[in-house]
Amino acid sequence: MIKRPFFALTKPRLGYDIPEPDPKEPKSMPLPSNLILLLHDPIDDARETLIKTGDKVEKGGKLYLYKDSKEYTVSPVAGTIKIIDTYSDDFGNTSTYLVINTDPGRTAGTDTVKYELKDTIASADEYLRTLPGAPPLKTLADPDKKIKTIVITCADSDLLSTTQQYIALTLMDKIKEGIQVLRRITPVSKFCITIPENLNIKADIDTVEVFRTSGAYPSNLPQMVLKDHLNIVLPAGKKPEDLGICFITAEAVVSLARAYKTKTAGHEKILTVIGKQGTPYRVTATIGTPLRRIFNAFSIQANEKDRIVIGGPMKGFATYTVHHPVQPDMDTVIIQDKGTVPELSDNPCVNCGKCIRVCPVNVPVNILVRYLEAGHYQDAADRYDLLSCIECGLCAYVCTARIPIYQYIRLGKHELLKLNADV
Amino acid sequence: MNNNKLIVSHAPFWHDGDSLFNTNLNLLIASLPAVIFSLVQFGAPALGVLALSLSSAMAWEFIVTLLSGKKPSINDLDSAVIGLFLGMMLPATAPWWLVIVGTFLAVVLGKMIYGGIGANPFNPALLGIAILTLSWASHLDFDAAYINYDFSFTALAPLAAVKAKGALAVSDLFPLSDLIMGKQVGAIGTTFGLGLIIGGVYLILRGFVRWEIPVSFIAGIIFTAFCFNLANPDKYAAPMIHLFSGYTLFGAFFLAPENSSSPVNRIPMLIFGFCAAVMIILMRNIGAYDDGTVLGILLLNVVNPLIDTIRPKALGKEVRNA
Repeated sequence: MIKRPFFALTKPRLGYDIPEPDPKEPKSMPLPSNLILLLHDPIDDARETLIKTGDKVEKGGKLYLYKDSKEYTVSPVAGTIKIIDTYSDDFGNTSTYLVINTDPGRTAGTDTVKYELKDTIASADEYLRTLPGAPPLKTLADPDKKIKTIVITCADSDLLSTTQQYIALTLMDKIKEGIQVLRRITPVSKFCITIPENLNIKADIDTVEVFRTSGAYPSNLPQMVLKDHLNIVLPAGKKPEDLGICFITAEAVVSLARAYKTKTAGHEKILTVIGKQGTPYRVTATIGTPLRRIFNAFSIQANEKDRIVIGGPMKGFATYTVHHPVQPDMDTVIIQDKGTVPELSDNPCVNCGKCIRVCPVNVPVNILVRYLEAGHYQDAADRYDLLSCIECGLCAYVCTARIPIYQYIRLGKHELLKLNADV
Repeated sequence: MNNNKLIVSHAPFWHDGDSLFNTNLNLLIASLPAVIFSLVQFGAPALGVLALSLSSAMAWEFIVTLLSGKKPSINDLDSAVIGLFLGMMLPATAPWWLVIVGTFLAVVLGKMIYGGIGANPFNPALLGIAILTLSWASHLDFDAAYINYDFSFTALAPLAAVKAKGALAVSDLFPLSDLIMGKQVGAIGTTFGLGLIIGGVYLILRGFVRWEIPVSFIAGIIFTAFCFNLANPDKYAAPMIHLFSGYTLFGAFFLAPENSSSPVNRIPMLIFGFCAAVMIILMRNIGAYDDGTVLGILLLNVVNPLIDTIRPKALGKEVRNA
């Protein structure tokens, strides 16, 4: 954890991590006996599910919960479904998890299911949504979005993570191949790629604009990339997709290239794992591997009151179980010892102004947090720029009173969405 | 099967390690040079006043939290800071009841009735000392307070002397080096200019005080006093006399930048510091009081919410009515 420096006249500087100069091959995790898959489709008790416990699944086979489901997942192994149950995330959104008992004999070798991939985005969206890196194919295939620009991110968006940078360092050829695939399957003409400025890499890709992003957090967040490199200010409350810009990770591009070559889905996700002492490990694990397996491989013990963080120290989320599976978009896993988990408080804001100075988008955080604490979400959005927040988490990181500001902001946005949806 | 319970909380999962306790502790540390000097200068009575002030301020906060059924909050040291600052603004000979009434006013009326830390519209220590000054002016008369002391320097409070006799008449009594080195009569913790500057610079460098406020405050003092001095050097004191006497430096580094009652945006901070200083010099030179620091800063505390609305536009925000 980066602490406040002794002299702190200027605002704190949090730097992105870069991978070691000559990165080693990631350590490969063995296939676990039980895999857990998340399916973003809630169970409806009134209806009979298409898949049932005891069903056999093929490696690479698509799994739907219901006949008319829009969401699917792909089984990375051949085996039998053991459990189908409800999973709820930290905002109470429900989805479904499947536990699949692996059949090692049938899983070995290439996928048994071959896809009839055509050179259209709809066809890619039909099979490849759960590729490692989670390509945003749903967005690209959405006719309402009209994506005109694709930004490939080789710069990891959160601290400590080096997953995407590692891929940029070692698999640049595959990224180029992936860009060709994207050119074939989408009508998008403008391609950009973000590469950290302190990453020693030669990026000369024909007709692709290269953005060297700064090493200081939060310059790799989509809104900052738009502002710094594309000179586009994202209107408050809008997403990049609304302006026809789609962000896609380097890993997703690589996965697309491979999928189009082999006509099968890939299942190996690259992860940065940060141990309790801050030691980084790089692993490849099959999507669905419980995190416990990875911790065991490095003899990391998850004790009572430790914290497992998925997705980085500033923007990630904490999980309540060591059985949480590896997900297609999971770049980083951090385990914090209970001694290093910083304490939060219920102090009110003391108006010290550190958040104001650190905020990259000039949100009046000190006033905003007062409105959010009182539950005045609409006022917070109208008058105090709630929707301008790019959710970098810096305000809560520096807060003297240790108010969970970022959480208040996320809750405020969430409640506001619900409120507007009801209207 | 490993079924340990994990901590589930929300991002960010890092913190820079700062806390209210840490901030207030550093305020106390920064005041040490001036405090230690005052003990040498004024002896045991000064220690008595500071100790009583600090402890009674904490006691008042504890009593209020107890009565209102809230969680005791004295461990954030906020009331300790208020108590110490109030004590530093009293003369060393202040009677015990004055100190206790002062801390009551500061902590209970200045802070707790508004809801505690962070909710006070005025600087609590200033509110306390303002009410004391208006109610028991004789006890805060620094010329009378040190009647039994035998100093090696002019035992006259500089600002009161300037007010009474004009700048020309007293110009030889207060050499600048004496004022800087604390050879002047005044409140316990506010006479040692060098010590206050050291403490203030420490706070600014460590980021506990925003530099904009002290810098614009001092600039305001020098500019306004210079204008008056230029107009009538016989009557109005030179800028440096104003800067190094009374509560001026203590106000610049410790009182004006109090978090809750001062702005947080850059331009408002500059306006706040500068205007507070202008008000102080106006009060000293035209008004009825010797030292306008207390009322000058309190006045700007009132307009703080208004000037703090001057702020940069947030990214992506549409400005209506523009």
